Amino acid sequence: MTCREAIDVLADFVDGVMPAALAAELERHLAGCDPCRAFLATYRKTRALGAVAGRVDMPAEMQARLRRFLADNLRRA
Amino acid sequence: MGIRTRTRWAGIRGCRLRTLSTEDQSLLARAATGDADALEALMTRYSARIYRLAYGITRSAPDAEEVVQDVFLQIINKGAGFEGRAALSSWIYRITTNLSLNKRRGKRRELETSLDGMLPTFLPDGHRAGERAFVVADWSEMPDDALLSGEARRMLEAAIDRLPEHYRAVLVLRDVEELSNEEVAQIVGDSVAAVKTRLHRARMALREQLTRHLGAGA
Repeated sequence: MTCREAIDVLADFVDGVMPAALAAELERHLAGCDPCRAFLATYRKTRALGAVAGRVDMPAEMQARLRRFLADNLRRA
Repeated sequence: MGIRTRTRWAGIRGCRLRTLSTEDQSLLARAATGDADALEALMTRYSARIYRLAYGITRSAPDAEEVVQDVFLQIINKGAGFEGRAALSSWIYRITTNLSLNKRRGKRRELETSLDGMLPTFLPDGHRAGERAFVVADWSEMPDDALLSGEARRMLEAAIDRLPEHYRAVLVLRDVEELSNEEVAQIVGDSVAAVKTRLHRARMALREQLTRHLGAGA
């Protein structure tokens, strides 16, 4: 397995949906490859950071505006 | 509420996906008649998720707010006719995705760049291309506080802004909403393979930009 092949399949590995045989092959590659180990660690961290950054709360005043908007629409209907 | 909740399941592309529960069906029917309690229940359950996805795709609070309003209008106007072959949440995510992508059409294109320049490059023999210090840079042990504040946070947000909107949609649905590849494929109307490719490229593009910013100091 080359670095290109290892990085190509990294998403399935990180997401836990990789077949066991391929995961074992990838782990053998990772054991001897500093760049791919660094790539995997930073890829995992990127996924976690993206998830935190994406957890945007809807502002309370927006919730209130939505309630008013829907109430107005129901009244008009 | 006294309504018995029963969740049906449907097989799609070899996977089991939830279908409309009887409780959701009742809420949709009542919301369509203008029942304020049903609408409030739907808002409580879904408005935060709708906003997160809409903001994640549009990257604009005013646009996301309009999308949330439009989604709820569709829930009121079309919810009673929803056939229930998918879970209500999937239907709502699909409407939200479509409305958000429509909202984005023609907007802020200049910010979005091709991913090609943001992906790892390789030598003909399959090894990573680039200086060794860069390809072995590992900033993953840096504290979250440092990575999610100040310049690093601005860098991350800018990197997300630069992703094409279809990539952002998949990224939010998978990594923020934590849906499966199969559920996301159903929502965005694409194959599981296409979803997986888009997700991987989006994550790699973000990783690459973070590494360019943080790598040398890691």
